[in-house]
Amino acid sequence: MSLTASGNRKHRAGLPQWATLPVMLGGVILLYWIVVGLTIPLWAPYEPTMLAGMRFQPPNAEHWLGTDALGRDVFTRTLYGVRYSLPIAGMVIFCAVLIGCTLGAIAGFVGGIVDSIIMRLVDVTLSFPPILLAMAVTAALGPGLGNAAIAMVIVWWPIYARLMRAQVLTVREREHVEAAVASGATRPRVLVKHILPLCWSPIIVNATMDFGQVVLLVASLSFIGLGAAPPTPEWGQMISDGALHFYRWWIAAGPGIAILSIVLGFNFLGDGLRDFLDPRSK
Amino acid sequence: MKSHLRSLILAGTGAALLAAAAMPGVAIAQDQPLVIARNLEINSLDPHRAFCDTCQIYLSSTYQGLVRLAADDRSIEPLLATEWTANEDQTQFTFTLHPDAVFSDGSPVEAKDVKWTFERLKNVQADPSFMMNGLVSIDTPDDKTVVVNMESPNSEFIGILAAPYAGIINSDVATENGAIAGEDAASADQAETWFLANSAGSGPYVLDTYRPDDELRFRVNENYWGEAPAISEIVIDQVADAVSQAQMLQSGSADIAMQVDPDTASTISSPDITIETVPSYNFIYVMFSPGAQGAELLDLEVRQAMAYAIDYQGAIDFTVGGEGALQASPIPNGFPGTDGLPMPEENLDKAREILASKGLEDGFTLDITVASLNVYGVDLTLLMQKLQQDLARINVAINIQPVASAVWREQTANPGIPFSARFYAPDYYGSAQYVQFFGMLPDTFWERRASGQGKVDLVNQRQVELFEQALAASGDRMNELYHEIALEMIKDRIIVPVVSPNLILAYRNEIEGVRYSACCNLPLAELSRK
Repeated sequence: MSLTASGNRKHRAGLPQWATLPVMLGGVILLYWIVVGLTIPLWAPYEPTMLAGMRFQPPNAEHWLGTDALGRDVFTRTLYGVRYSLPIAGMVIFCAVLIGCTLGAIAGFVGGIVDSIIMRLVDVTLSFPPILLAMAVTAALGPGLGNAAIAMVIVWWPIYARLMRAQVLTVREREHVEAAVASGATRPRVLVKHILPLCWSPIIVNATMDFGQVVLLVASLSFIGLGAAPPTPEWGQMISDGALHFYRWWIAAGPGIAILSIVLGFNFLGDGLRDFLDPRSK
Repeated sequence: MKSHLRSLILAGTGAALLAAAAMPGVAIAQDQPLVIARNLEINSLDPHRAFCDTCQIYLSSTYQGLVRLAADDRSIEPLLATEWTANEDQTQFTFTLHPDAVFSDGSPVEAKDVKWTFERLKNVQADPSFMMNGLVSIDTPDDKTVVVNMESPNSEFIGILAAPYAGIINSDVATENGAIAGEDAASADQAETWFLANSAGSGPYVLDTYRPDDELRFRVNENYWGEAPAISEIVIDQVADAVSQAQMLQSGSADIAMQVDPDTASTISSPDITIETVPSYNFIYVMFSPGAQGAELLDLEVRQAMAYAIDYQGAIDFTVGGEGALQASPIPNGFPGTDGLPMPEENLDKAREILASKGLEDGFTLDITVASLNVYGVDLTLLMQKLQQDLARINVAINIQPVASAVWREQTANPGIPFSARFYAPDYYGSAQYVQFFGMLPDTFWERRASGQGKVDLVNQRQVELFEQALAASGDRMNELYHEIALEMIKDRIIVPVVSPNLILAYRNEIEGVRYSACCNLPLAELSRK
């Protein structure tokens, strides 16, 4: 990864500076999935829950990725899967960033007892392995994609809180902030106008990288039966079905490749963005 | 290189086997633990609280009933009782116990143990307690004679006694460990935990260890009074899915795989493995619970419409690759009274017509749960997805939530599940068990659950009367009565059988004595190595 990234940090004529090879590769993969997600109902060969043919057909001209135990088209289901994974990942990251950054910024800016309380909460949450905590929360709330999403927000927000707090602590010592304070700006104004705008780079890089991880965690929760309910064409759920029919490799192959490509896409994009926005953290 | 190595190992193993066969040490093979791969799914090992397929295997190997089901799966043979008689109206049964029968601790099997066992089975009020319905009193004129008095005629009582749950317990040992047979047994009995680590029967095996979700280990009963079984130690290994079971079988880490489905069986090509497909009395059914939360719409007509919308043949094809049979009523094909019953019918027009007449042509939605289980080769979640597709054709949407089997059991009792799928295997050869479990008679297992513990009245008086008559009848008259009961059960549309899957027996070639038993699944004492 680092080889590719460094090799492409040289500025090339005609391309903006951020357009490195990993960014473009990641962008293309993600653009593909976004387009698929938005347009799939218009051109999908079959319905995702339709019993489209004989069960357990290996990949063939009619069913590019074969059919599953109920004769559903694996290719169609794989493509439909993105309509669950991406929006959930987006929502989870958005909520985690919103909650985490707000609390992190308050902790870093206000300091004192508020900082201590928030950061201890962060420590406690981060002390659990993410998958275990997500499983526990989902099990408590009840299975389902919505509850899985809530569980993941609970797992993810502390990461952003810690990151944001560190950024705020650094930026608030800068001279322009002192100048703003000296000129009589209110504390909220100082935070929002003079500190936060300088804190976003690592957050954006992290959020992009985390997108892939959330997709993976959604799939994991569905795999163990805590996420999507059948017959939702969710990737983890599909892989779980495939595991039951181990010798029919194609049932799990489609969603497996889909997860791989989307995680890879986000990692490429995140890597490239990091090189551009926050090269020190590389 | 790999194949050379494999040849070498095979040759070595072959030579070793030949050498073993040539020497008196052949007994060594029988001393090796025999490993069975199976999803344990055990709810209890207390003979009177257990109610599961593995429980049948366990109980029939560690305990013995007064009688047992013969290998033809129909007739009854003596076991602890050498002979028995019934009075003319089938209300009093007298048994003479075998003089040599002893429990695993060496103490003799006596009439008091039989009395204690049957009373406890009735009084703990657990799942198999229905088998002692109508028991009034038990007299023990001497140590080896038992007289059972029933409230009303029960022509099937002898058959019931072949069920694994009616195995006789060593009452002295069980009582010492907290077991109670009195009328307060349901609340006062404390022995369930003790039974998880100990058996107290007279069967060919005793419980060695049970580790939930890991293994159930049997060792031979040193004091067994009958012919000693060939294998001295048997382990049932927890292996949840069919694929892993098949893999264990092929790799030699298991000798018998018990829940390999037809799809997985078709992938096994090893010449070392025997695969037999036999018809079974097991079946998968769907049930409607009009008394459950969210099931207000499920009146008789709507249930009828939904039953018409099911593609039964398709369900057999999709779940077991066609390796199964249709089943008419909750009494399985081949049991008394089932000849000539009308098979379930798919009729979409009728289904739509019924719903339209109720103003439900736009359908409705049901939230349901199903146990994530693969039984008899049928994945229940997969089956529900197939039914989901079928019902969508009449605009009935079902949202499926798979849950653990134990959770499912609890939910059926409270708050109830409007529509779900489950399985059943017989406990003995006789139709009464199905009426007592599935029939809409007061207080049967499914009458309670389907009615939401009595929220809606589902009791079918005609069934109650017919069943009373059936228990007093015998021969052809009994068959006729069960036939009528079966027709009533079909009409109720509470339990709708979907498939009676064929059973796959998959085992390594050197194992002998593997057979399906209607009461007990797999009789362990009959197993041996060639």
